[in-house]
Amino acid sequence: MTTRSSFPGGVHPAAHKALAAEAATEVLPTPDEIHVPLVQHLGAPCKPGVEPRAEVALGDELGNSDAFVSAPIHASISGTVGKLTAVTLPNGCRVRAIPVKASDEQPLSGQDLFDDIFGGPWPTGRFEQYEPKQIVDACRAGGLVGLGGAAFPTHVKLVRNEKRPIDTLLINGCECEPYLTADDRLMVEAPAPVVTGALLAQRATGAESVKICIEDNKPKALESLRRVAGAAGVEVLAVKTKYPQGGERQLVAAVLKREVPIGGLPLDVGAVVVNVGTAAALARAVLRGKPLTHRIVTVTGAGIRRPRNLLVPIGAAYRLLIDYCGGVTEDAARIVSGGPMMGFTLGNLDTPVTKGTSGVTVLTHDEVRKAKETACVRCGRCVDVCPVHLVPTKIALASKAGDLDLAQRYCIAGCIECGCCAYVCPASVPLVQLIRLGKVLLQKAASAKKN
Amino acid sequence: MLTVVTVVLAAVVLAVLAVGMGYVLGWANRKFHVAVDPKVEALLGAMPGANCGGCGYVGCSEYAEALARGEAGVTLCAPGGVSTAEQLADIMGIEVDQACPYRAVLHCSAYEHQRLQRREYFGERTCGAANLVGGTQGCAYGCLGFGDCELVCDYDAIEMVDGLCIIDYEKCVGCGACVRACPRNIISMIPFKADRMLVVVCANKDNAREVKEVCEVGCSGCALCARKGPELFSMDGGLPIIDYEAYTPDHPDLEIAREKCPKKTLVFMGKPAEPESF
Repeated sequence: MTTRSSFPGGVHPAAHKALAAEAATEVLPTPDEIHVPLVQHLGAPCKPGVEPRAEVALGDELGNSDAFVSAPIHASISGTVGKLTAVTLPNGCRVRAIPVKASDEQPLSGQDLFDDIFGGPWPTGRFEQYEPKQIVDACRAGGLVGLGGAAFPTHVKLVRNEKRPIDTLLINGCECEPYLTADDRLMVEAPAPVVTGALLAQRATGAESVKICIEDNKPKALESLRRVAGAAGVEVLAVKTKYPQGGERQLVAAVLKREVPIGGLPLDVGAVVVNVGTAAALARAVLRGKPLTHRIVTVTGAGIRRPRNLLVPIGAAYRLLIDYCGGVTEDAARIVSGGPMMGFTLGNLDTPVTKGTSGVTVLTHDEVRKAKETACVRCGRCVDVCPVHLVPTKIALASKAGDLDLAQRYCIAGCIECGCCAYVCPASVPLVQLIRLGKVLLQKAASAKKN
Repeated sequence: MLTVVTVVLAAVVLAVLAVGMGYVLGWANRKFHVAVDPKVEALLGAMPGANCGGCGYVGCSEYAEALARGEAGVTLCAPGGVSTAEQLADIMGIEVDQACPYRAVLHCSAYEHQRLQRREYFGERTCGAANLVGGTQGCAYGCLGFGDCELVCDYDAIEMVDGLCIIDYEKCVGCGACVRACPRNIISMIPFKADRMLVVVCANKDNAREVKEVCEVGCSGCALCARKGPELFSMDGGLPIIDYEAYTPDHPDLEIAREKCPKKTLVFMGKPAEPESF
């Protein structure tokens, strides 16, 4: 086996992917009620576009915004709109949400829904019949955001910029977060829309080459995509299994050997990175004019009775997902939205699934680290594993002491918050949290200066 | 003999040196004289000298300079209070207009066991950090209880009691450091027109059902106060706002609203902390 390309630093947490990797995607039964948050993306919040008591059908727009960096939201079930309410997202943000009560008649459910979203035919080719702007506009109208977790509006990434031409489009199928298998299942079960979406994104950005990158711990996904992509002339690349391989900076570093500048985007070095789930949704939005209403969510962990991959309408409560998977076991200790490295602990199971939700991980008492924080012993392990060459302990301690100048000297803005440092820290210092605190304090200081 | 000569010689040398240095210093004092407004020194003398920054200037001397230039009002010194404001006005030769002190009030009254949907938390034990991870409790508005405010209070006026910030109005001087430290923005400065002021001790704007899920004591937003006393109370979503501009200590609506409030989220705060009769 040849050496796979990768990036410096990083860690190898236990993957635990076997729990749900073989579980074929199941469709969550249509929930009685959904709450669609007005903010599910990075950027400006949507304004509600429907009145209470209005009837909406699957795919109808519920809200939109005039801002460029934003994405509209859509109804993921048919039903009646309720009074605007507020929900607390897993990251603690209190945002407004539009509730929709399901009507008795649902146009699609079960396997039909899966087929409607991922079923063929998915044409391939250079798609020259589509103007780049047409594709970008379809992304915006479809409410597409990065489904890998950051939820950055896709149309913003794909817009052509004469000053910064794109030469390579990377389709990110790494899924380096432990436990999660949603992207893996998508690639195994529905490789065709991923490839079609990749080709459409290539047409939009004008990239010369497009590469689908998959960590080498997913042989089935690699094989399945190679079969479809080979015929369409798209390269499928195996990259080393290492966390955070799926971070876009790390992926660009591993595949293209280019370093994305701090505060910049892959765009600055001629690359665009799009998640596989986003690519599949893009194909559907452009070719069929259907918005992003459902996504695959992995419900997994040792604390869940039957780990599954579910196709879930956006806005469904986490509680429904967990109930569908048989509930939690007696020794379940913590429910995390996302994976254990970058996820947020859920406090309220009525929180709705958003576009950026890739999984729910239920950890048991044995798995939750309960070690008490002790003083930093200056072992330097965090420095060894930091994929962006920072000194996490210095930044964290400076943030803790409120010494923002020092934190900036150690380049706090460069931190990607991947969590490698906190993972290896023998003193259990909450390094990432402290660094994030420092970033917030810096923002506060900057806005205070402005005023 | 030799000793006497040595002593005299030393005395003479030192005397000559002293006179010489004295002239040099005297000359330097005139040559490099910087004119200081005598007012600044007088103003600085009248201030308590706490250097708390509560006035918005970097330390007392900068405030004194701004005052002397006529750029700042005389009522900004929170630790000094009314008496300092009067002294400052005296020095500046102006009339002080009814200075009423501003004090910090907390808009939350839920002790730790009253805040529901609490979860285990192993992170950094400060409010700022806890606020970044969705906090440690259901209420997205209320006090987190790790005491960031207690830490920044230079006057030892804040104590965390069972996870709730309690302000001691005997000690609070109104510098506003806690207001800036609170990541949830639930401490605010209000004009204390009397020793005890009515305060809304909840910050949760959600509807009654949602509040009940996360808190045992939070405001249900029934708007009874706004109906009983429309002059002073208005509703902002599920939460009343008290109009402190119109507030007068003997306004009849205050007592009516306080008594009618079913969740007891309208509370008199100030000194004495617990009056004997009410």
